[in-house]
Amino acid sequence: MNPRPLRRVLIANRGEIALRIMRACRDEGLETVAVYSDADRYAPFVRVADRAVRIGPAAPVESYLRIAVLLEAARASGADAVHPGYGFLAERAAFAQAVDDAGLIFIGPPASAISAMGDKTSARRLMAAAGVPIVPGSLAALNDPDEAAAVAREIGYPVLVKAAAGGGGKGMRVVAAPRELAAALATASSEATKAFGDGSVYLEKYIERPRHVEIQILADHERTIHIGERECSIQRRHQKLVEEAPSIAVDEALRERMGAAAVAAGVAVGYRGAGTCEFLLASNGDFFFLEMNTRIQVEHPVTEEVYGVDLVREQLRIAGGRAMSVPYGRLVPRGWAIECRITSEDPANGLLPSAGLIRWMRAPAGPGVRWESGVETGSEVTLFYDSMLAKLVVHAPDRRQAIDVMQRALSELTIVGVATNVPFHRALLADPEFLAGTIDIQFLDRRADLLAAADDAATTMRLAVAAALLADDRRLSRRGTVPAAAPERVASSSAWAATARRDALR
Amino acid sequence: MKYFVTRGELTVEVELDGDVVLVDGRRLEARLERVPGTPEVRIVIDGVATTLAVDAYQGSDLRLIDRGAVRDLTVEDERTRHIRLLAGPGKVVDGHSVLKAPMPGLVLRILVAAGDPVTAGMPLLALEAMKMENELRATAPGVVGAVRVAAGDAVEKGQVLLELNAG
Repeated sequence: MNPRPLRRVLIANRGEIALRIMRACRDEGLETVAVYSDADRYAPFVRVADRAVRIGPAAPVESYLRIAVLLEAARASGADAVHPGYGFLAERAAFAQAVDDAGLIFIGPPASAISAMGDKTSARRLMAAAGVPIVPGSLAALNDPDEAAAVAREIGYPVLVKAAAGGGGKGMRVVAAPRELAAALATASSEATKAFGDGSVYLEKYIERPRHVEIQILADHERTIHIGERECSIQRRHQKLVEEAPSIAVDEALRERMGAAAVAAGVAVGYRGAGTCEFLLASNGDFFFLEMNTRIQVEHPVTEEVYGVDLVREQLRIAGGRAMSVPYGRLVPRGWAIECRITSEDPANGLLPSAGLIRWMRAPAGPGVRWESGVETGSEVTLFYDSMLAKLVVHAPDRRQAIDVMQRALSELTIVGVATNVPFHRALLADPEFLAGTIDIQFLDRRADLLAAADDAATTMRLAVAAALLADDRRLSRRGTVPAAAPERVASSSAWAATARRDALR
Repeated sequence: MKYFVTRGELTVEVELDGDVVLVDGRRLEARLERVPGTPEVRIVIDGVATTLAVDAYQGSDLRLIDRGAVRDLTVEDERTRHIRLLAGPGKVVDGHSVLKAPMPGLVLRILVAAGDPVTAGMPLLALEAMKMENELRATAPGVVGAVRVAAGDAVEKGQVLLELNAG
């Protein structure tokens, strides 16, 4: 393959990931082009870029999702490559193809790999053919109890009876033992008929309390390697909130088995660049392919911290036709990294997204702390985009110390103007179950208490004292500046006095 | 000086006397230090400092950012609380109520005019009493009827200031 050096990269994204990619470009000696919607005119990522092109109004469909406008921005700014980031167009094969057709380099896998992994059922077949374990089961309808019993015996109990036309848990039954199977088939089928007008059911292996563990892969024109796992079991409604590397549930042998499966998945679709295979990990060490994300992941920094690899720079190298800089041989994770996603979700308000102006912000710093933020003092948080404001990433010698460093970093973080989910992170990191690492993807379903902004009597007392001191401070400063006697009150309506009064009240 | 801090359903009484604070029957030493150029304040209680940020402080409503959490409080001094409790609308007669002066004082400003619709909590009139300015607020929605006083008037305790008709 002929190296085709990159010179100027257009970043077809916004927020923290746009900034992250621009920093990698700088480190690689590449020029950057930002594209921005009207809502992002003054965003940090726009100011960091060498060039910036307006692409439309705030709504993503009118800006960040418009392929033709993005390609025109690339042409007008003289960019020779496009980095899609994550979200928006990152996993649209049509976008990768359009970038390619325009004679530009798409910083990501070939369009064919994106579409192969984009269709979940075809991806499942592809993975099975490549020897990647998928959740065992039968996709054909199985309403005959004898036939179902044979399948269940083969995949092993417990099994899950699922509606073929299903979704949302309707027509779904967990069956722990053979004698329960016939009854479960009947009720699931009748539920499915009522809900979907189709009583067809099928069987799948039921995985109890699985963890979400994913494997990072990297592929250049010579080799495809894995760079260890990330544990992402702390999720709410399929949104990851906290990720760590390595996983407490993965030892070296399992890492190599999962890594080999992920590499096989990548090879099967002709992968290039950075990608991630998501797996369900059962408590007995069995793992099953969920899907492949054909892009850089939000949580990529935890892998970078423990493996000392800059994944975005590697993406840029590989896209430019160079070999990855990762050494040959087995990679060993060093220490422990944790990421907390700081979102503008208000725990006091059912974790609904909050919007507003960030009037003041202090970011955490110090040893082991990495702050990847899309916002700063003066940023406006709108409801047009994802609620993630920033990622707080820490790295320490072991898990326990990483948790302590994260608590320290969270205690230094102050955001004034929008409510954030910081109280949730603090509660989670102090929770005995989380500390023990006994987590799975249903953890937050069971522990809704962690999501509410609880507090204690000591807090109330401290806040009461603070409030009284503030009120007294205001009273005294008012008294000092505002004339109280009658004759002077006339003067207090003058502009000078009004200004003094405003100052006193500030 | 005594303050009443309300958080949700709970009201805590805090008495300040120099650096000495009496709260919930406990005696503490506490002081406040502003951090210039920032919304942050350091609260030092018995020598232990914590930093809070003041998000907003308007009237009695205070929003603090405490270790990442948004905390909404109301804080009133004893007199303001007393006045608020006293200044509830007078007797409702034939669907209208009256706002009475809770104490002798001087009318500084009339903030509404006859016919204005008001909502609960809306300031109606500023009264100076005990050398402090006090805002008297509507306790229920309604429409302003006759205004019986003018700015600059000295008023007696219990004097009718304005009338409020049910909305």
